[in-house]
Amino acid sequence: MEERLYDLIFILRPATPEEEIAKLTHTLEQVISEHHGKIEKQENWGTKRLAYRVSKHREGIFIYLSLKSTDGEMVKELERRLKVAEPVIKYQTIRLDEEMKLQKKLVARREKKIARRPRRQAPPAAAAPAPAGEQPSATPAT
Amino acid sequence: MSDQENVPPAAPAAPTAPTAPAAPSGPPSAPRPRSSGPGGGGDRGDRGDRGGRPPRDDRGGGAPGGGPGGPGGRKGKRQFFRKRKVCRFCVDKVDFIDYKKAEMLHQFVQDRGKILPRRMTGTCSRHQRWLCEAIKRARNIALLPFASEL
Repeated sequence: MEERLYDLIFILRPATPEEEIAKLTHTLEQVISEHHGKIEKQENWGTKRLAYRVSKHREGIFIYLSLKSTDGEMVKELERRLKVAEPVIKYQTIRLDEEMKLQKKLVARREKKIARRPRRQAPPAAAAPAPAGEQPSATPAT
Repeated sequence: MSDQENVPPAAPAAPTAPTAPAAPSGPPSAPRPRSSGPGGGGDRGDRGDRGGRPPRDDRGGGAPGGGPGGPGGRKGKRQFFRKRKVCRFCVDKVDFIDYKKAEMLHQFVQDRGKILPRRMTGTCSRHQRWLCEAIKRARNIALLPFASEL
């Protein structure tokens, strides 16, 4: 299986102590390494207001992980762990590699287009500055 | 129907306010002529000023009024023309709408949490599709409300 990119966000209860967060992320890291995954990015967004109540909480600590893996079982295991973990109130995993592929394709297409465009505009553009450049250089010389 | 007409003028004004100057002028200009807001009143007043041939004016205005900024036969007679809305994502050349940018997504959502329709925001169909997906993802992880309680 080719490598896939996932976004994993989970929300913890606002009262979760730092050590517990560290413990949880550590276990997650272990799971990821067991399945030969890679952590591309890890961010702690801190305590944020939730848009709606989640298990009676209005705020939560957001933790964001960007993962790369070839093993789909990894996500399954991570979600199972998050489900079991007591401080976690919500989590979401999203597969993003297909969208990134599309994005790369679109960027490449646009760059190609831009690269093609100057050829049409180049002759007049090159012709215009050339005489303009000669004149100023000629006046100081004389 | 009356409900729909009442909501849009208020909604786009709030979300578009903090954005770039080019885009906000698009959405609010559209709903105004339809509603009986200040814009509608101004239009009527303009017509009165130039009212050489009021009945004809009405006919001329009625037909192209349906299409946004339709050129129509007589440009001079058109009292207002709807500014053509441009997809903000196309202008910025966005290839991926990030669901994590809740602040940005907030502009495309009504006060109560509904996704704004394309006709209000001017988003192109492709970007609306992506936007819709991003908003739904953001909702799922409590970055945006499904329905905000008021």
